[in-house]
Amino acid sequence: MVLAEKNNENARNGRRSRGPSPNGHVQADSTSEDESSVPVDKIRVGRDYQAVCPELQPENQRKPELLADRALLVWSPTETIAETKLEDYIVLAKDKYGYNGEQALGMLFWHKHDLERAMLDLANFTPFPDEWSVEDKVLFEQAFQFHGKSFHRIRQMLPDKSIASLVKYYYSWKKTRSRTSLMDKQARKLNAPKEDGAPSEGGSENGSNEESDHEDKGEGGACSNCGVVCSVTQVTAKGALCNSCYQHWRRTGLLRPTSGPVAGGPGKRHGGAGGGPLGARHKRRPPRGMFINHDDLAAMASGNTGVTVLRAMDRELDSLQRQIQQNKQNISSLKRKHSDSVEDLRAAGEGQPGRFNARWSNEELLIAVQGVRKYGKDFKSIADAIGNKTEHHVRTFFVNYRKRYNLDTILKEWEMDNGPLPEDVAMADSRSENVDSQDNDVICISPTPVQHEKKKETKNGKMAQMAK
Amino acid sequence: MATQPHSRKRVCYYYDSDIGNYYYGQGHPMKPHRIRMTHNLLLNYGLYRKMEIYRPHKATAEEMTKFHSDDYIRFLRSIRPDNMSEYNKQMQRFNVGEDCPVFDGLYEFCQLSAGGSVAAAVKLNKQASEICINWGGGLHHAKKSEASGFCYVNDIVLGILELLKYHQRVLYIDIDVHHGDGVEEAFYTTDRVMTVSFHKYGEYFPGTGDLRDIGAGKGKYYAVNIPLRDGMDDDAYESIFVPIISKVMETFQPSAVVLQCGADSLTGDRLGCFNLTVKGHGKCVEFVKKYNLPFMMVGGGGYTIRNVSRAWTYETSVALGVEIANELPYNDYFEYFGPDFKLHISPSNMANQNTPEYLEKIKTRLFENLRMLPHAPGVQVLAIPEDAINEDSDNEDKVDKDDRLPQKDLDKRIVPENEFSDSEDEGEGGRRDNRSYKGRKRPRLDKGGEGKEGGEEKVKEESKGDKVSVEQESR
Repeated sequence: MVLAEKNNENARNGRRSRGPSPNGHVQADSTSEDESSVPVDKIRVGRDYQAVCPELQPENQRKPELLADRALLVWSPTETIAETKLEDYIVLAKDKYGYNGEQALGMLFWHKHDLERAMLDLANFTPFPDEWSVEDKVLFEQAFQFHGKSFHRIRQMLPDKSIASLVKYYYSWKKTRSRTSLMDKQARKLNAPKEDGAPSEGGSENGSNEESDHEDKGEGGACSNCGVVCSVTQVTAKGALCNSCYQHWRRTGLLRPTSGPVAGGPGKRHGGAGGGPLGARHKRRPPRGMFINHDDLAAMASGNTGVTVLRAMDRELDSLQRQIQQNKQNISSLKRKHSDSVEDLRAAGEGQPGRFNARWSNEELLIAVQGVRKYGKDFKSIADAIGNKTEHHVRTFFVNYRKRYNLDTILKEWEMDNGPLPEDVAMADSRSENVDSQDNDVICISPTPVQHEKKKETKNGKMAQMAK
Repeated sequence: MATQPHSRKRVCYYYDSDIGNYYYGQGHPMKPHRIRMTHNLLLNYGLYRKMEIYRPHKATAEEMTKFHSDDYIRFLRSIRPDNMSEYNKQMQRFNVGEDCPVFDGLYEFCQLSAGGSVAAAVKLNKQASEICINWGGGLHHAKKSEASGFCYVNDIVLGILELLKYHQRVLYIDIDVHHGDGVEEAFYTTDRVMTVSFHKYGEYFPGTGDLRDIGAGKGKYYAVNIPLRDGMDDDAYESIFVPIISKVMETFQPSAVVLQCGADSLTGDRLGCFNLTVKGHGKCVEFVKKYNLPFMMVGGGGYTIRNVSRAWTYETSVALGVEIANELPYNDYFEYFGPDFKLHISPSNMANQNTPEYLEKIKTRLFENLRMLPHAPGVQVLAIPEDAINEDSDNEDKVDKDDRLPQKDLDKRIVPENEFSDSEDEGEGGRRDNRSYKGRKRPRLDKGGEGKEGGEEKVKEESKGDKVSVEQESR
């Protein structure tokens, strides 16, 4: 009885429940069975509780060199290999041979930090590929649906796997489920407008929509997902599905990705953005930015090669992710490095009350001229260099002092170094807008520069007015 | 004490790739997988290649019985999920079955965890390294003959016992949110190990760790307990950790330190109730490291596993003296760290129930205790008789700390006769709780004026003469 009680408690609160209340002890006397179910709440003294401390070995009798390590050294740091080289080596081992970082370093250590030899040896010891076949994975997922995290039970369905292997796989599989559920959400979002009253989309994150409550057999007809005409379709939240689409949806909660000429034509699907009315009707557009490659799908369908394709893609994903995070780290470290110095510099400028001053001192004029030499017509940069001038001020300066400081020659020099100004002559007051727009047409290929040019153009326009 | 700023240290790291594969059971908060997550994270941070990496041997039964009782270890070795029913009695006796379930590979798990800490201690003894890390260890609740709080084999005690061969005094610090009762109990009566535990106290597992629990016999004043309330934040924690540890270092002058880095004191822990961030938690490591003593870091609690691996990764970087980016590198378990994928975490807005006055009060009380220590006990270099129990509670009676105990508290300490005896086979093995329990409790009762009864029982039970002498003394 006590046991049962405790079990309840544990199930409810986990470890905290065990906490005997030191304050509650006064009353606890009355409920002695409660008391007795709490095994420890005092430090006990006696031979049965304390450790027996070993004697301190006198210094002269110590033989530390004889002490066994009781552990196997698998890696020791080295100074001889440059960090970047090591990094390259690891990336190579990962991307080309499918090692993990630990295995790569293990190989290097085995070769006593000889990078060359380790590199050559990489190909000879490629790690065993994933011993989990696709069938195993599907079985695992099914077993997991039934038994949850009772690995003993799961093991009954996968007898050739050890519990350890199941646990390991579980943790790496678990993380991918969040990805799945993201797609789930996307699918739901796309579906939402259509089935607004229907609460049928019971899909919670753990994929409970697998056991859907709407398994009505539909009439024969075309599958709304892949377009295949079949005798029996399954009516689901995603429309009437053919058997294979239905199975896929049941298992993953997602619509079976389809492509190829069957429905809608591959062109539309590939674009993703194109979508088309067909795609919209059947809600089978993948989330934005996701593409389905028909060849890959075909390869997957044709047996073993599919696994290789998937694995290669996984590896590619990993390496891209790795790069992304690496870049993020770099960015933030650069940001941190520079934020200090930028603050230092800024503090001086911001300290002055009248920050912008339209008056030009001789020194400022000099900087401005040097600025033109350095930045060409990037007035913003010149203004930043001077500090107390705005872009506008600099532009005025440019127009006013053009002749006096022979800025055109300076600009020419700048162009010699940096190539022609994008709208070069355009800034001249004599130019007509027509020419400008022509220039734009020639220069701009992508939409962003167009805006840029437009801005410049208006600037120039303004400038022209000002010049007048 | 030398508090030099960070210097590069030789760091050894103990890890077995199998450790993440043990599974306590569905719904159980303890997840050895967090150790693998930590490992993977620091591998991808590039910290791995800056350390010596060891795969520890499995600790043998012989090694484990340096602390644990033979029959307890024998029991752990033989029990399996499929033969549990044959062991009903022993399971009760050793407190295995509920919090400490029988799971697949239980004994190996204990072997790996203990093997890592023992190997780490040996390494420090050899002076082949300054800092040794075993995130698979830190199971501080395990008792000599009893599992407790998800812990079966006390790797920390085994590690400290190894250190004691070469170190006169070892300091144990515990920043888990739970009281480090197993380690405290193991060294409750020795002056060679000081245990300092910072923990939540009051209606909380394991219920021990009162401010007034200070050790017994020779070990009196060598157990330091810092009971805390909910919501400890970084600043508050530092404000108590730094002065106490400084004082302890100054008075105890250990020659080696073991730090239990239980990560359940972090904010948002599934079982914990503190509000520390990874930075605040890591500051403890940083501070202890500054003393430049042989330093062993072990894991411990921690039940929100993404934060556990964050904290332990960060603390590994602190041990190495390497700065790491706040953006997590891509790793095998990257998805676990969403949505922000950052190393550091922010505290919650929970209220800190530890007022500065409360902390100040604790600090003053503990300082008073620490002042009672013989200053710089460098004299006893001679071998010390192991049976510290001989002197048991010798000084305890002279101390009048207990005088301050209100009757209510004293009552709390009275435990029904049957408290530990409800489990059968009293005569067997390590389960003679009654006797020793009284031995511990009696002095308090004396002070409370109820000593007579306790004392009489004592005389009856006591087998050791010295206890009787204590008896007389106290009258």
